[in-house]
Amino acid sequence: MPDSPPVPASPPTPDQGTPPAPPAARYAALDALPATATGAEVWAALGRAGLLTRAYRDGAVTAGTDPDGLADLLTAVDARFSIPATLSASVQLATALPVLAAGRTPLARQALDEVLSGRATVTLAATDATTGTDLAALRTEVRIADDGLTLTGTKRWIANTTTAAWHLVLARHRPGRHFTHFTWVLVPADAPGVTVRAADSALFAPSGTGHLTLDDVRLDRDHLVGRTGFGLPLFARHIATERLAGAQWGVALCRRVLADTHRHLTRRPHGDGTLWDLDPVRQRFAACLVRVRELHALAADCADAVALRHDATAAAALKAAAGSTVNHVLAACGQLWGAEGFTTGGIQEIRAQAALFDIGGGAGEVVLGAVADTAEAALDGLVRPGTLP
Amino acid sequence: MDARFTDMLRPFLKHPGAEPLDLAPDTDLRRLGVDSMQAIELLFTIEDTFGISLPDEDLNDTTFATAGSLWQAIAAQLPGEVTA
Repeated sequence: MPDSPPVPASPPTPDQGTPPAPPAARYAALDALPATATGAEVWAALGRAGLLTRAYRDGAVTAGTDPDGLADLLTAVDARFSIPATLSASVQLATALPVLAAGRTPLARQALDEVLSGRATVTLAATDATTGTDLAALRTEVRIADDGLTLTGTKRWIANTTTAAWHLVLARHRPGRHFTHFTWVLVPADAPGVTVRAADSALFAPSGTGHLTLDDVRLDRDHLVGRTGFGLPLFARHIATERLAGAQWGVALCRRVLADTHRHLTRRPHGDGTLWDLDPVRQRFAACLVRVRELHALAADCADAVALRHDATAAAALKAAAGSTVNHVLAACGQLWGAEGFTTGGIQEIRAQAALFDIGGGAGEVVLGAVADTAEAALDGLVRPGTLP
Repeated sequence: MDARFTDMLRPFLKHPGAEPLDLAPDTDLRRLGVDSMQAIELLFTIEDTFGISLPDEDLNDTTFATAGSLWQAIAAQLPGEVTA
């Protein structure tokens, strides 16, 4: 069970009239839900309460991500619900909605309104039968003709698939691997030829993760989202935000797991004291704290670069750090919980779900490769001006 | 190819020599390290730098093959620019 959410200090503002509501009260709509709520239920509650727009500057998706608003939302959701439920929100907030907002047709606007108000969810259906690390090889195809579109293909392991009213599908409109050969298509879940199947995963069932099959799906041209040939550029731009979101969420997840673990260690009797009195335990715990503080600092340092300038290298560094830190902290906490960690819903289950941080949205090896590609620039960025011989 | 274009392009190219790279219309961009990720960043930089949107029909591998083909596509969107 997640512990209580942190309540950051909020100084009164006497010269600006009525002080704002306590931060925790902003998320009262979430407190009405059980901890076992699904991603779709959490999304509906966030939308009904008007909270989803907090992730964007001036409350407008087209204005870009507000890093602090995004971090607040993810932290509030993580503190109350499961990893799959938070995954469901994170993908939509960070990537699906910004991609959808690139659509200028009335249909795309309608879908955006429905999703932002919590009346619907949307998938980001990028990965298909080929591996997610090689998007340029994807096989889902859209034929674009004057009188409409025809989509054929299969998307696999997509969050929100079983609950979504809309699917944002990345498809190729031209053969070959060039980055300009791909386009986004907005597919209604009830369009003829669309079928969904839940993924065989008890760990991620609350996220609605599943597989999407498109069998000769015919749509009008107003279902194209963004410019033809801009599929991968749009994806690259907004997956960067998802990587920032992953780092912010990773900090929140590690913090609450460490808080739970600390409480466990200080209450678990050992000899004349508790487990917390053992130096090896304290040192192992402290090493985790250091790792989380490193991730927290990196996320703060890179937030504007990613959210405002879509810095892909900063995003890759964040993703690599989040995967590594979450794996390290949850493995250490799993060890510290001992046999009790295997309780249903306990740390070992959370740890298995959290393996996602180093796999989904760009595997650790892939993002480290992106960091390596810019090694010289990264080293130059560490130089203090005027100090080298 | 004008200087604004070549100055914009140079940071995207991997050039091992100490001397500045001499850019020519037939300079092969892929051989100089402009892979998919780099090309995506290059596309956004082009559109920001020149304040243009490349037409959908120019979003293809031929446009991004050489410095010259890329400049031709850009110049075609610039008022008064001669692309020959």
